Amino acid sequence: MATTVDPKQLDNTLDDPADRSPLVLGGLNYEGVTDTACGVWDAERPPMIWWVLLLIALSLLGLLGACVNHLLMSGTGVWGNNNPVYWGWPIVNFVFWVGIGHAGTLISAILFLFRQNWRTSINRAAEAMTIFAVVCAGLFPGVHIGRVWVFYWLFPIPTEHLAMWPNFRSPLLWDVFAVSTYATVSLLFWYMGMVPDIATFRDRTRSKIGKFIYGILSLGWTGSSRAWHHYEIAYTILAALATPLVLSVHTIVSFDFAVSQLPGWHTTIFPPYFVAGAIFSGFAMVVTLLVPARKLCGLENLITIRHLENMNKIIMATGLMVGMAYGIEFFMAWYSGVEFEQFALSNRAFGNYWWAYWIMVSCNVLAPQVFWIKWCRTTPWFMVIVCIFVNIGMWFERFVITITSLSRDFVPSSWAYFHPTWVDISMLVGSFGLFFTLFLMFCRFLPVIAMAEVKSIMPMEDGH
Amino acid sequence: MANETDNSNDKELVGLLAQFDDPTSLLAACNNAREAGYKKMDAFTPFPVHGIDPALGIKRSFLPFIVLAVALGAVCVGLGMQFYTNGGEIGGVSTDQSPIFPGYQFLISGKPHFSLPANIPVTFEVIVLSSAFATFFGMWIINKLPRLSNPLHRVSRFKRVTNDKFFLMLEAKDEKFDKSDSEAELNQWGAVAIEEVNQDLTDTKLPAWMAPMALIGALLLLIPPVAIFSAYGATNTKPRLHVVPDMDWQHKFKTQVLSPNVSDPDTPEYLFANRRAMRQPVEGSVRFGSLETDSEMFRGIKKDFANASMTVGMKKSMLASTGPQDEEENLDQWITGFPEGFEVNETTLARGKERFNIYCSVCHGYAGNGDGLVNQRAVALAANGQATWTAAKSLHDAVVKDASKNPTGRIYDTITNGRNNMGPYKDQIPVADRWAIVAYVKALQETGITPVGADAAAEAEAATEAEAPELEAAEEEKEE
Repeated sequence: MATTVDPKQLDNTLDDPADRSPLVLGGLNYEGVTDTACGVWDAERPPMIWWVLLLIALSLLGLLGACVNHLLMSGTGVWGNNNPVYWGWPIVNFVFWVGIGHAGTLISAILFLFRQNWRTSINRAAEAMTIFAVVCAGLFPGVHIGRVWVFYWLFPIPTEHLAMWPNFRSPLLWDVFAVSTYATVSLLFWYMGMVPDIATFRDRTRSKIGKFIYGILSLGWTGSSRAWHHYEIAYTILAALATPLVLSVHTIVSFDFAVSQLPGWHTTIFPPYFVAGAIFSGFAMVVTLLVPARKLCGLENLITIRHLENMNKIIMATGLMVGMAYGIEFFMAWYSGVEFEQFALSNRAFGNYWWAYWIMVSCNVLAPQVFWIKWCRTTPWFMVIVCIFVNIGMWFERFVITITSLSRDFVPSSWAYFHPTWVDISMLVGSFGLFFTLFLMFCRFLPVIAMAEVKSIMPMEDGH
Repeated sequence: MANETDNSNDKELVGLLAQFDDPTSLLAACNNAREAGYKKMDAFTPFPVHGIDPALGIKRSFLPFIVLAVALGAVCVGLGMQFYTNGGEIGGVSTDQSPIFPGYQFLISGKPHFSLPANIPVTFEVIVLSSAFATFFGMWIINKLPRLSNPLHRVSRFKRVTNDKFFLMLEAKDEKFDKSDSEAELNQWGAVAIEEVNQDLTDTKLPAWMAPMALIGALLLLIPPVAIFSAYGATNTKPRLHVVPDMDWQHKFKTQVLSPNVSDPDTPEYLFANRRAMRQPVEGSVRFGSLETDSEMFRGIKKDFANASMTVGMKKSMLASTGPQDEEENLDQWITGFPEGFEVNETTLARGKERFNIYCSVCHGYAGNGDGLVNQRAVALAANGQATWTAAKSLHDAVVKDASKNPTGRIYDTITNGRNNMGPYKDQIPVADRWAIVAYVKALQETGITPVGADAAAEAEAATEAEAPELEAAEEEKEE
């Protein structure tokens, strides 16, 4: 351990080209990292605030359950979806959540392939967030199919009763495959990364039930070098698989729109535009979650200001990409010479839904620009506010794309203004309950920090 | 040497476990052990220590090749699944002819049933999913995990391997292994502590209750799939379960169906007197945007006559040929010019020409002299007695051309409602286009093109004098 105080230990956002800034602060050694990362889990009972948050999350989850029950018993008419806006809030919420679910895999896979060491402290929580967001996302198309009890018709299962197969040329079917593959691979990736850390829990726990459960979940992991060797290769392969996968998922989600012929949807810019937006919203959600979580779990020395600053830089970069996509959309409408496209785009910005469009632009393009200023991207409470704006803006982006195009289609006689019902609103709010319930459970019962990975990027203790 | 496990006869030595406090000394010890000739050994670390693979002599993993093989297989499975289920064809034989679980061909805009670009996304996802499973399960199988019992976990010191300590184990199976010699060597290499790892032989047996319980459990797990499959194949005499009845029996009738009997069978009673399930619009209802009050524009009739009579062309039935026209025609009712709101200019004339060539020329001919291909063929067939036909009129015919007998309003009405053999075109041609055609017809007549040869003109004139009802009578006789 250093005997003199390194200025970078005090502020690790300083950049010195001659030396790498530390990613673990507080002079923690290997044991210190383990103790810090296990802090909340070690505690006899979780802090009071955890119970309060869990109570709120559970009541919202109950609201969601009640709404889903009401929906299944009464049919999809309880939503505001109606001619001509047949894709209302359920699809908006689906795209919103699945977009958020992109940050975790991006941090784990793409930043891993680029050897970005700062990913190690945040990747576990981000992956968990990914999975919970995909759960929320899967819920909406799941109940949107109307007759949920025959959901298996979505999959190519041989059945004589239906005497049909799915249409493999439909983007909606591609979506089924993309989202279910994404959920499965993310889960495998997350779990595989967690096994060594669950083994830490197994070796630390004093309760019998804990020993049994973590013993089973850790699969008998011993940290053998042979196992580590295969494990690291497998991790790299999964990262290499997840990287094109994460790009393909939101590309295919954008095909749901882009392959149709509706003005404002039928455009080739959608795949990159959606992927940039997904990373943007996902990172914003990671920052929104991690700033309170690092406080709650006492992880300030592991999830440092430098980590948050790096994420804010990515948020700003993707925010600029999204802003450019908004501009290019107008260019394409003008350059295509198609009057319907031109109408659709001018209607977006200046039509009935002008308010939604300008909320989107100000939250997504203008708000992240404050991150040019260092104080803004290194001050936790402030970045959370900005990131919440980004989340609101990204929800409105999906709202603008879905609703404005549908409510003003080719046939003026069918134009209508979309009105959500209380079920629409409650389900969106309730889905946050599902998300936060899962995340709070994760914070308490599973390793929030990838301890083994953090240790592997620390300078060796004997001064090497 | 601190040995925390007690020795008894039921135990077998697995190896010696040496603890190190930092990765560097572990690496050095591994190198020393390999140089000393140990082969069966392993290091245990809280995180992957770089450089330990060559120190221990670990060969490169072959996992990537397993994944590659699975991925290539997934290409075939993914494409094959889509080809089969969507009724792909090879050599004219489609999978939708398969006797069991036939493929299903979706006919969508005439697109091919199997086309690579549309099938790439799903193929890609199948590849990624299969490869991820291969990676995940392959890695655990190669590592011989999950392993629920391991003598290493009996060493309490070993608990810190997942925290901050590093271990090297020399296995007793190694040829060079000798308990006291090896222990001395490990001490020499800087081990902080050395433990014996013992396999408890009594421990390796499963408890007696476990095997029958596992068997019973496995059998119980079989019940749900068996129940599902038997129910799937069985014929059931009871009605199926309806989860949400009002979605299976919706309280509605389709628009064009007969109303069901809502009372008892003997004294039937229906929703509406006309036995429809749907109400008809109130008499005199006008579709939105279809009020059409301007009789000059929409009917070609002067405003004074707007309420006086129906047009002659307005038929009792669809085609003139199926019924006589019994109303007296008032020639004064037709407008003689063009209605307000329609302007004759170069654009509308060009439009009229285009529409005329599309809709009218097939019978009346491009020049309007009645030599359209349909008319020629039908006249030829009629001459052989193979068809009945009223020859299309030449627009240059004296009567047709006479503005007092055929004012523009009447020409408009002819297009709208048809006349004699000619059917109505009001559903095909919008109002403005009909007037454009009228303008073009007048222009054609003004140019005065006559057929080649005076004889042909004379014949055409003779044909127009033949009255339609006579021909129709002849037609009916032929049909009998």
